[in-house]
Amino acid sequence: MRSFSVAVTLAVAMLLGLVVAAPGHGAATSADETDGDDTGLHLLREAAAAGRTHRYTGVIRFVTERPGAGGTASALVEVSGADGVLTVREALAGAVARRVDPGSPAGGLAAPTPGMLDVLARNYHVVAAGRGTVCGRDSRIVEVRRDDGGVAARFWLDESSRLPLRRDVFDGRGRLTSSAAFVEVEIPQTRRDVTPLPGPAAARDEAELARLRARGWGFPVRLPNRLELFAARAEEPGYLYFGYSDGLSVVSIFVQRGYLDEERLTGWHVQARAGHKTWVRDSLRQEASWASGGHVYTVLADAPSDTVDAAIAALPHEREPGFWTRVARGAERLASWANPFA
Amino acid sequence: MRHLGERVSALVDGELSHSERERALAHLTFCADCRAEVEAVRALKNRLRSLEGPSVPADLTMSLLRMSEPGGPLPPRVNPFPDASRVFGGMPVPSMHGFAPPDNRPRGHARPRGGRARRAGYVAVGLTSAAMAFGTMFVIGGMEPAPSVVPQMERFANQHRTTIPYGPATAHATPIPTPTPTVTPTAPVVRGR
Repeated sequence: MRSFSVAVTLAVAMLLGLVVAAPGHGAATSADETDGDDTGLHLLREAAAAGRTHRYTGVIRFVTERPGAGGTASALVEVSGADGVLTVREALAGAVARRVDPGSPAGGLAAPTPGMLDVLARNYHVVAAGRGTVCGRDSRIVEVRRDDGGVAARFWLDESSRLPLRRDVFDGRGRLTSSAAFVEVEIPQTRRDVTPLPGPAAARDEAELARLRARGWGFPVRLPNRLELFAARAEEPGYLYFGYSDGLSVVSIFVQRGYLDEERLTGWHVQARAGHKTWVRDSLRQEASWASGGHVYTVLADAPSDTVDAAIAALPHEREPGFWTRVARGAERLASWANPFA
Repeated sequence: MRHLGERVSALVDGELSHSERERALAHLTFCADCRAEVEAVRALKNRLRSLEGPSVPADLTMSLLRMSEPGGPLPPRVNPFPDASRVFGGMPVPSMHGFAPPDNRPRGHARPRGGRARRAGYVAVGLTSAAMAFGTMFVIGGMEPAPSVVPQMERFANQHRTTIPYGPATAHATPIPTPTPTVTPTAPVVRGR
C-alpha cells in the first residue's frame, strides 16, 4: 500500500494541468538570452510556472523500474492541481488524498523551483526536440541530454497550457527507468501566458553547512553523476539529512549514529549494490541502508538505479573487522577497563 | 726383611705394635725405598690434616636432598655466579660460599611416572585457557559501543518526499540543536570521489 501511495504522489506531480480563471490566451514566453544552446529551458520554466498556477484534474499512470527485483511496478494516481498545490490520491478504494508541493518528489518534480532548473541547465543540455501527443493533446517535447548526447529525460509539455503531461527518465545506458504520464487529463481553461516564476538562484544554506562543519561533520558538495548538495541539516531526533540533486533527480541521505540492528529490519532483504552489502526494501522508490564506522546510512532516491549505485559507492563502507582485529580491540578494551587511570 | 709395603701407612698412623715398629724402623735404616715411601705418606697426611673442612651451603644441601626425591620436574637452574667480577681466563670463578653444583642430574630419573599424561594435561589446560581468553577478547571486541538502530523509514520517506530542492525550507528544516558528532572531526560523514 505504501508503494502505491508513493506512486500516487509521484503521479500527481506529473499532473500539473492548469485551468485558468482568466479567459484568453497569452503569448508564449520567449527563450531567455542566457539560455544559450538550452533551447528547451524556457519551455521547462513555463511548465514549472504553469504547474503552480493552473487548475487541472486527471489520472497519471506511474511506472518505474524495481531495483534488484527486476521488472517494473506501476500505479494509477488521481491528481488535482490548484493554486500551486497538488492533491493526490491513489486510484484505489479507501485511499487517502494528500496535499503535496509539485516541486517535491511527492509531486513528481513536475514544477521544479527556479534553482532546480538552474542546476539542471548547469549539468545537462536542455533542448527542444519537436512535438508529440499525450492524451490526444498536442505537446512540445523537451529533451535533457548528457554531454555524450544521450537522453537523460524527456518531457511532453501541453501546447496550450504548458503543463507537463509526461515525464520519462533514462539511465546512463539510455534505458527507461521511470515514466509518469497522464492517461486522463482535463484542463478546463487553458492559457499560455505563464510567466516563469522568479526565485533565488540555486544556492545552499551555507550557514547551516558551516555550522555542521564546525561541529566536525564532513560531507562532499558533489556526488557522482552530477549530484550536487542542496541541503544538509541536523534533525531531531538525532540524525543528519543530506539532499543531493542534479536538477533532474533527488537523492536523500540520512545518517544515524549506531549500528544497524538487522534483526529488526522486517521487510528488508540483503542486496549487493555497487559491490557493497546493503539492505533494501521492495519499493517504488530506491531505498538502501547499511552500517559503516558506527553510523547507519540510509539512501532514499527518486533517480535511476545507476545514479543511486554511484552515490552508494561514494559513501563510507568500512569492512567488518576480522578475527584478530576484534581480538585486539577486545584486549584494548579490557586493558582500558582494568586501568584505573584510563 | 721384606719391604714394608702396606705397613707403611700403619707405621705413619702409629698403628703397629712395639715389636713390629722396632723391626720396621730397623728396616728403614737400610732401605731407602721404604724410607722415601714413608716420608711421602707422612707428608700427604700432614697436608690433608692442614686443610679445613669446606662449609656446605644450605642450597647445596637442599639440592642434594631433592635429588633423592622422586618428585616433579627439575627446578630452574639458578645462576650460581651472579657476581661476574671474578673471572679467570674469561670464565667466572665461584666463591667458596657462592658455589652451586652443576645441574648434572639425569633428566630421565627426575621425570615421574605418568609424566607424558601430565604434560598432555598441562597442554590441554593451556589451550583451553588461551581459547577462553581469545574468545572473551573476541566477544568484547565485537561489542558495539554505539546504539543499535533501524532506519526511521516513515520519517525519512516523508522528509524525502516533501523536500523541495532549492525551494523554501520544509517543516523539517526548523533549526534544532545539532548533535555532537561521534567520529573524528576530520573524518568525512560521506566520502566524495
